[in-house]
Amino acid sequence: MTGFGRRLAGKLAMGLVMVWAVATFTFFLVRALPGNPGDVQYENYILMGMSPGQAQARVNAVYGFTSHEPLPRQYGGYLWQLAQGNLGQSTSYSGVPVAHIIGSALPWTVIPVLSGLIVSFLIGVAAGVVAAVKRSSRWGGLLSLSGSVVAGVPTFVVALLLLLVFHTEWHLLPFGGTSDYEAGWNAPYVGSVIEHAVLPVCTYALLSYGGWLLAMKSSVISVLGDDFILAAELRGITPVTRARYIGRNAILPLFTVLALSFGLMFGGSIFIENTFDYPGLGSLLLKAIGTRDYTLMSGAFLLITVAVIAANILADLCYTLIDPRVRR
Amino acid sequence: MSRPKTLVAAVAAAVALTASSACSGSAKKINGGGSDGNVYTSIDANNPITAGAPMNPFNASPNTFLGYDQMQLGFDKKNPADPNDFFPGLAASWTATDTGLTVQLQPNAKWSDGTPVTLADIKTSVAVAYTQGLAGPSAATANPSAGSLEVSGVKDLGGGKIEFDEQPGVKNLYFTRLALSLTIVSDKVYGSQVPADVWTTIAAAQGPDANAAKAAITKLTTEGKALAAFAPAKDVSAGPFVIDHIDPGSAVMNRNPYFYDVKKIAPKQVVVRHFTGNEQIWSYMKAGELDSAPFTAMPTNVLNQVLGAGYTRMDSVSFVGASIAFNEKVAPFDKTAVRQALAYVIDRDAVTKVGEPVGGVPNAATTGLIKAQSDTFLSADQSAALNPYKPDPAKAAALLQSAGFKKDSSGQWHLPDGSAWKITLQAVNGFSDWISASAVIANELTGFGIPTTAAVTTDFATYKKEMGAGKYAFGWWLVALGPQTDKAYNRLYGSDDGFVYTNGQITHNDSGWEHTPETYAVNGQTVATGPLTAQLSVTPVADQKPIIAQLAAATNQELPVIQIWDYTRVQFTLNKRFTNFPKTGDEALLANPPGVWMMQGYVQNK
Amino acid sequence: MAVTTATLGASPRARRPALLAFRTAVLRKPGRVVGLAIIVLFALMAVAGPWLYGRLEIDPDAVYAPPSAKHWLGTDFAGSDVLQEIIVGARYVLGTAALAALITAVLGTGIGLVAGYRRGFTDSVLMRITDFILTIPAFPLLIVLSTVWDFSSPWLMGLVLGGTGWGGMARAVRSQALSLRERGFLEAARGLGLSTRHIIVKELLPNIAPYVAMHLLLSTIAFVTAEVGLFFLGVVPFSTTNWGVMLNQAVFSGGALESPDALFYLLAPLSCIVLLTLGIVLFLDAVDELFNPRLRERA
Repeated sequence: MTGFGRRLAGKLAMGLVMVWAVATFTFFLVRALPGNPGDVQYENYILMGMSPGQAQARVNAVYGFTSHEPLPRQYGGYLWQLAQGNLGQSTSYSGVPVAHIIGSALPWTVIPVLSGLIVSFLIGVAAGVVAAVKRSSRWGGLLSLSGSVVAGVPTFVVALLLLLVFHTEWHLLPFGGTSDYEAGWNAPYVGSVIEHAVLPVCTYALLSYGGWLLAMKSSVISVLGDDFILAAELRGITPVTRARYIGRNAILPLFTVLALSFGLMFGGSIFIENTFDYPGLGSLLLKAIGTRDYTLMSGAFLLITVAVIAANILADLCYTLIDPRVRR
Repeated sequence: MSRPKTLVAAVAAAVALTASSACSGSAKKINGGGSDGNVYTSIDANNPITAGAPMNPFNASPNTFLGYDQMQLGFDKKNPADPNDFFPGLAASWTATDTGLTVQLQPNAKWSDGTPVTLADIKTSVAVAYTQGLAGPSAATANPSAGSLEVSGVKDLGGGKIEFDEQPGVKNLYFTRLALSLTIVSDKVYGSQVPADVWTTIAAAQGPDANAAKAAITKLTTEGKALAAFAPAKDVSAGPFVIDHIDPGSAVMNRNPYFYDVKKIAPKQVVVRHFTGNEQIWSYMKAGELDSAPFTAMPTNVLNQVLGAGYTRMDSVSFVGASIAFNEKVAPFDKTAVRQALAYVIDRDAVTKVGEPVGGVPNAATTGLIKAQSDTFLSADQSAALNPYKPDPAKAAALLQSAGFKKDSSGQWHLPDGSAWKITLQAVNGFSDWISASAVIANELTGFGIPTTAAVTTDFATYKKEMGAGKYAFGWWLVALGPQTDKAYNRLYGSDDGFVYTNGQITHNDSGWEHTPETYAVNGQTVATGPLTAQLSVTPVADQKPIIAQLAAATNQELPVIQIWDYTRVQFTLNKRFTNFPKTGDEALLANPPGVWMMQGYVQNK
Repeated sequence: MAVTTATLGASPRARRPALLAFRTAVLRKPGRVVGLAIIVLFALMAVAGPWLYGRLEIDPDAVYAPPSAKHWLGTDFAGSDVLQEIIVGARYVLGTAALAALITAVLGTGIGLVAGYRRGFTDSVLMRITDFILTIPAFPLLIVLSTVWDFSSPWLMGLVLGGTGWGGMARAVRSQALSLRERGFLEAARGLGLSTRHIIVKELLPNIAPYVAMHLLLSTIAFVTAEVGLFFLGVVPFSTTNWGVMLNQAVFSGGALESPDALFYLLAPLSCIVLLTLGIVLFLDAVDELFNPRLRERA
């Protein structure tokens, strides 16, 4: 087995252990939670005009998905089902598989997150190089400051400000939902989807822009001071070669930011989707919490965590592939 | 900030991957006009839409829409004077008989696949209702006011006449109401989802053998579980619309060409939009995107924006009120004088202005009913005799002093035992109107000399549990659920107050959280609140007045709760793409979703 | 990243020069002074705010009133003064963040130091735990936890925030400890036979203090974000007012996005959060310079 293969296997094993730990954690957490969706809905049925007896009967009928088996058995069953990709049955949807509901929401988180990641990477890295090279000038300082502030300002603040400016004040971009057109293979639909995705994607991009910028800046600065660059300069290399040297070596540490960005973005999806009324995984998690649908909640939470773990492994492997020192 | 091309490309590519399952065709704007009618856009307050939820009305979060693709035999007019007063739906007319109800189906009643609505559909619908806890004997059967639908059989009398037989021995005053409210589904879709022997099980559940009945009920509920999760591949509707598809952001329904009264239906398509909160609905209205919008608790500034966008406001009575309830086991709330004093301190006008400025009217006299109900049942003299508890700090102080309370030099009230009096007012997370109003009430009480803290519980389920455990002495509570008065008073003198039925007898125990006395002395008479409430449920509306007069006077005097406001159902319509909407005053129509307006000939293309 | 000996070589007894250096660093750029001033202002607000005002005045006839001489930032849904709410609400927000930062400092520094200094098995175990904490997306976790715990008390909120937020700090401190471990003065200390405890507490700790301070400031921003976010989403029941509650009320009940009347109610807490972030970031620059002389040389 090559060094890379061993590393990959090790990382995957570690990832699986993490997934197991998170799954176990959510399993027991969920069972410690108070209340159940039936109690929440009972009151709604009463308000809809049912008598207490009727409401109770209805709750028993539609929310009877709580298992009464002993805990270790439930836990075993849960892990076994999980291994087969079964996340259980949703209570607030009367037994519809959680995987099905999450599957419908997933694209609306993954697409904006990936788009936002690409956008922020391109802008952040470019700005980082400028900030590093021009760090003594006023513009360089301002660029760095913008990175630090944007990295620090909460997601919902960014989302609300964007919404306020581009929707409320200027009426440039729509708010709510994913499209104004019926889904299909046509320009208006795709255009509308893009129009609706602009604000969420921009927010995602701003969320990790600062991380890329600051990492790139400090990386470039440290490479600039490295001995081999100085030595090469003394040897009299062309500026292009110098830039390639610097670029190649400076971009390496950014892969740690990639992992970080994924975590940030999936965490931020809750705010972004809630603020822009975008029906993705974050909205679903909030909804599950509102209705106390614990299977759906742990399913969504688990998926978000798995995405972050996967991103970590990916970032690490990329790092390994590029940096020969680590590969050995 | 810059928005490079990569963003657009990435989004487009990713969308292409995911949208492949959606139907293709010409682009249809969800908000546009057309030659054969416009597209009607609205929001279903009960259904925020989740892509992935089944098109099954029995699911707890269904993608079906009452009045559009989900049909009933009739639609409730919410008439307090006659709870059996309904608009026709799939039933063109009906007659209540001694043994049940005879229904005349619409002569042209058809499903969206072109087949007629038949006895099999009705029968399956009743059977489904039994498996879903929507009909049939429940744990509370011993309670006559549980008022569940008990059907022993459904028969075809020929000529589209169908007979519902009420279970022998049961006499529910509202059998008509319950039968007409049944959701009618297609036998072709749901018939295979109920077991073949379901009617045998239903018969067993109605049988005299208590144990066999219990086993039968459990069997029905168990069988109902798969049905609740069942996801039909295609919507089959007997209503004016049928679901075309569900997007994450909206449900799109086309006009059902086989609908029995299709000529009355003007919109060629209905789009029900997704929402996560009120602010979304407001935003859609501000942009003029909704043709009608449901009730949302909104502040005045938003109301002005909505009216400014060209919307017309339609007010109708909403049979529910907000109140603050007491746990009378906790001193000093056991004293009538204390509860009355608090009622004199709380300025209901000011509280309503902050809590529910648009959708609320300060409650008139805290009788356990909202004004529309008390106006129906109380005479002018009886109403005039009620204490309106107008804000009056002097009276409040006098009442407290008479109960042994003392005010210290700093202006703070002390309990008769000398300790300082502090109150916690409990509200529930998510009920933003209650939380806002709590701030005002806490301020008023604190200003009067009773330091009050406003607290909030995580959710309603926890709230009820904690209330039951006696943890909250003073907290918000919804009352006057109607229009049926027995339901309204059940909210005060029902299970929450420890009135329970055992073997058909009503008894009072400690199981509730209100802990009011079993009887009140009002005007020299003894008023037994629990039994009177139970009596209401078996008394025809025409004979209810004397009972209600007693209960209203008792509630007004003893104040088991202080009613703060009556909710008003404020809806909005836009006269841009459509016209001829219902107006304020059309109470019966406004109590129903827009699909029902359309069935009644309202909503025409402009 | 490499850290030069210049700062880290400073012995614990050289405190006064450190303070002096700090002063010089802050005064070098006006932005840093502004940053410090903002932090001090908010800190004062948090300490004294609730004493400045009694209970909030309510005026049902002046709901969402525009800014005026009486109400500088207008009023809220109940006619209360927005400025007053901002000032009173600062205590919960900043107090909670400070408590969380304290927990992070103790846990993160402790675990990082022990792991970095002891290495070997202890290090592996501690770092696996740290990895776990770092991997779970903190905010979704907080939302899930909010269904179990009552976060209305600032203590519990601070505890949970700190308990889930120390991972980054532990990582950073560990890598610092690893590099310091091989330094001359530590080897000398070990050679003298000083106890591990002595070395960690007396030798290592003072040298990583500025690093910890920097991380603390950064994590304070994250904690403010998280707690305000929880209230903004409305998943945490609230009874007292704070910035998150204000945001929630403004957006979801006040229609701040639909009508200009409630705009100030929304913008006031938003601006405070942005301002606080800006203040911390500007001030961090000074701490950064103190700690990283490479920047000083080139600035």
